[in-house]
Amino acid sequence: MSSSASAILLGAGLSKRFRSVAALDDVTISLQRGSAVALLGPNGAGKTTLLRILAGASAPSAGSVRWDATESRIGWVPQVPAVYRRLTVRENLRLFAALESAPDPDAFTDELLARADLVRFADTRAGELSTGTLQRLNLGVALAGRPSVLLLDEPTATLSPDQVRRLWTWLDELRRDDDLAVLFSTQSVDEAERYAARIVVLHAGRSVFDGTVPELIRIHGSPGTSDADAAETAFLRLVGASA
Amino acid sequence: MSGALQLLRKDLRLLVRGRGLLAILIGYPLVVAALVTIALQSGERRPAIAFVNLDTSNRTVRVGDRRLGIPDYEQRLAREVEVKRLDSTDAAAALEDGRVSAILTLPQNFIRDLQSGIRSPQIGLQVSRRSPIEAQSISRRLESAVFRLNQELAETYVTQTLDLVRVIVEGGDIAVFSRSGSVLGLQRSEVLVRQLQRVLVGQGQRLLANRMDPLLNFIVEAAINLDLANAAATAISRPITLAVPPSPAGREPLSAFGFAGALLVSLALVGVLLAAAALSAEREDNTLVRLRRGLIRPEALVGEKVTFAAIVSTVIGLVLLGVVGLGTSLAVDRWALWVPTLLAAGLAFGGFGVLVGAAARETRGALLAALMIALPLIFLGLFTESRVASGISQAVPFGPAFRAFQSLLVEPSVSSSDLWLRLGQLVVLAVVLTGASALVLRRSSET
Repeated sequence: MSSSASAILLGAGLSKRFRSVAALDDVTISLQRGSAVALLGPNGAGKTTLLRILAGASAPSAGSVRWDATESRIGWVPQVPAVYRRLTVRENLRLFAALESAPDPDAFTDELLARADLVRFADTRAGELSTGTLQRLNLGVALAGRPSVLLLDEPTATLSPDQVRRLWTWLDELRRDDDLAVLFSTQSVDEAERYAARIVVLHAGRSVFDGTVPELIRIHGSPGTSDADAAETAFLRLVGASA
Repeated sequence: MSGALQLLRKDLRLLVRGRGLLAILIGYPLVVAALVTIALQSGERRPAIAFVNLDTSNRTVRVGDRRLGIPDYEQRLAREVEVKRLDSTDAAAALEDGRVSAILTLPQNFIRDLQSGIRSPQIGLQVSRRSPIEAQSISRRLESAVFRLNQELAETYVTQTLDLVRVIVEGGDIAVFSRSGSVLGLQRSEVLVRQLQRVLVGQGQRLLANRMDPLLNFIVEAAINLDLANAAATAISRPITLAVPPSPAGREPLSAFGFAGALLVSLALVGVLLAAAALSAEREDNTLVRLRRGLIRPEALVGEKVTFAAIVSTVIGLVLLGVVGLGTSLAVDRWALWVPTLLAAGLAFGGFGVLVGAAARETRGALLAALMIALPLIFLGLFTESRVASGISQAVPFGPAFRAFQSLLVEPSVSSSDLWLRLGQLVVLAVVLTGASALVLRRSSET
């Protein structure tokens, strides 16, 4: 289903071994400009490992990651917010804007504060923010590099339903406005179905499905399952768990 | 501005913002320095001695034109130790309780025996067994005090003897060794004999006059030989003299050694712990994973932490030196050499700290590990009498740093080649440790 020809980011044959354990085994994944892809899988499936490799935070044991460095920049949103807890929101954004070589870090910081809806928290220390606001800062920092691809590791894992809804509204805006490609990991089939046009299912380090939700239901679903549960049932059958 | 400089600015900002940490970083070395100073002063403090006087005669002994009694002896002792006059029972109880470190007992008839010149009076010294080192120190102090008193007495006796010799040669009134009177003297005897010879020759009794020649020769020879007694007696009273040139002001070896030690312990702990904490905090804040995505190379990141630790420990070192320079007589005025020395030491301490910080998973673990590894090595740097200890301490930053601090504090003139060799050693260690830390960081990021 994935088209590597027009890919803004391509991970080909990616494997990662930690001593004798294979965390990732020959996974290929591609992202197109403006697309939203969900990386779905249970705990230990290799989602974080794959995202870390794609983000350049970890080197693969085998395989390669390709993107056009002149056009593509990758923003990385780790599951645990990667910000300085004792710096204020503004200082964090200013520091990462400078580290990302922004031409005018101060002006860009103001822009980031506005885009992440963090203006009223600008002078609050990151350690004093609520979980949802901290995640927005985590995302704001990822935007400091003006990315064309955003990689998010379970961005909503610690958020309330309201915070999840607001975060996705903002991410959708970003995707539309900036033609941003979004790849996010999740364990929720519902979230994947709701916010991604395409899903990649990882299981025990291997990519076991790459397509749309209807395709997942058609190939792996059970006849007679209600529409509401069809995707969930297909996913559970695919990863070998009982419904 | 490069990434490393941005992070350095961030680290300094966080340090200044954390007032508690800043207070600890500045206060801690001052407290260590104060404790070391107190420890040194207690080493120089006068121990308390119970003084038991069993000679109740109130007699005095004449030495030269002075009379010395028990109070004079007590006064001399008080220059060396703190004297507490007690009777035998109270003195024993005080020694048992630890209120005094020793009991000094003057026997009955102390002055009479001294006066006799036949019997040497014996002073009793009983030292506490609680502190063998202090007991040894007290014994040596009192031995030295008795030696000095003996020498003073000997010199006085020699002076008196020489006075007597002078009177025998020149003639005059005599008042030594409890004797007094008028003495003719050899020189006047010679004059009298020569006058007598001339009278006898004038009376035609030349033969009789010539018979007095041996007497005249004896008088002349005796006078000449007794003149030599002066130098001989002086040599006997002081067969060997010890010439100790005074230390240059402010470079007393004991104090300087102590302060060099305090400086090493303080700055090493500050540098090592700060660097370890600064690097492991990046991991704890989860920012390391972001930085390692090409924002900064591992070498630049650990180099930034090392520089941060070096800057802070240099500033703290200068503050410490300033406080010591203002508050004590210790000479710390080699500022042009102190700055590169503190900087080189800070870089090496920082290198040691980042190596631990790179290997640790979180800040508390990094601090604990840094403390546990650094502390014994710091003390090896202080005590390098053993060849093995010296070898180990030279392979880590603490040995060379201590030598550099010592040479700036103790040596009257610093050998610049020696100092630059030490600083070069520190810089090489800093580079090696930083490189090793970058390697560890690179490997640990992969897991």
